Amino acid sequence: MAANRDSIVELVELIAKALVDKPEEVSVRTVSGDQVRVLELQVDPSDLGKVIGKKGRTAKSIRALLGAAGMKVRKRYTLEILE
Amino acid sequence: MSREAWAQEEIAKKLDRFLGPVLSAARLSLDYELHEGRDDGKFINPDITVSFDGDDIELLLAQKGELLLALEQLTLEALHVPHEDRYRIIFDARDYRLLRIEELRMSAEKAAEMVKRTGMAYSFNPMTSRERRILHLALRDDPEVYTTSEGIPPHRHTVVRLAKESGRTN
Repeated sequence: MAANRDSIVELVELIAKALVDKPEEVSVRTVSGDQVRVLELQVDPSDLGKVIGKKGRTAKSIRALLGAAGMKVRKRYTLEILE
Repeated sequence: MSREAWAQEEIAKKLDRFLGPVLSAARLSLDYELHEGRDDGKFINPDITVSFDGDDIELLLAQKGELLLALEQLTLEALHVPHEDRYRIIFDARDYRLLRIEELRMSAEKAAEMVKRTGMAYSFNPMTSRERRILHLALRDDPEVYTTSEGIPPHRHTVVRLAKESGRTN
C-alpha cells in the first residue's frame, strides 16, 4: 500500500526534524527491495550528533521504532544515516 | 513540581505534538495517558508517568521493553528535556517500570544488609544511569553504607561499601 510507504518516510522525517537544529535540512530517501526497505536519512552535518546520540543511543532508538513498525506490516526497515 | 515548565498541561501539549504523530506514522495501536507522579517520600518516583495501553502493548514491552524505552528516549530528546531532569518523566505500561523500580529498591536493601553483615563491598551489574540513581537514592539515608558508581558505560555499575571502610559517612 502506498500509504504505508509514505507513512514510514514520514515517521523518520518527523523524528529527525524534532531532534535537529536545522529541520529544513532533513531529507529521507528510500531504496526498496521486496521485503526490505532502506531509509537513508540525511541531515545537516552539524546535526549528525543529534540523530546519532551519545554512543549511538538515539539512532538505536529510531531503529527499535522502525523494527516495531516493520513487524506490523511484515517488512524490514533499515535506517542508514548518511554522513 | 516546582517549576512552571513542569506543569502537566505544558508537558502534555509538547508530548501530543511529538508522540501522537510518531505513533500514528508507525501505525502502532497505542494510546497514552499522563499521570502526575506520587511522592512516596523517597524522591524516586517521577513527576510524570506516561502510561500506555492498546493492542500493541505486547510489542511495546517485548525484549525488555525495548520499544517503550526507545519511545521514551526519543521523546525526551525531541522535547529537549535537559539530562538532569530526565528522571522526572517516565514511560510505563502495565507497571513494567514501576515494578523494576521496586525490584531495584529491594535489591539495594538486600545488598546493604549483606555489606553490613560481611563488611565486604557489593557490586551490582552494569545499569543505566536511571537505574543506578534508584540504587543510590534507596540507600542514601542509610548511614552505615555508601554507594558509588564505577566504570565506563555500558559497564558502569553501582558499588555498595561499608561507610567506616573509608571513613565516609554519606
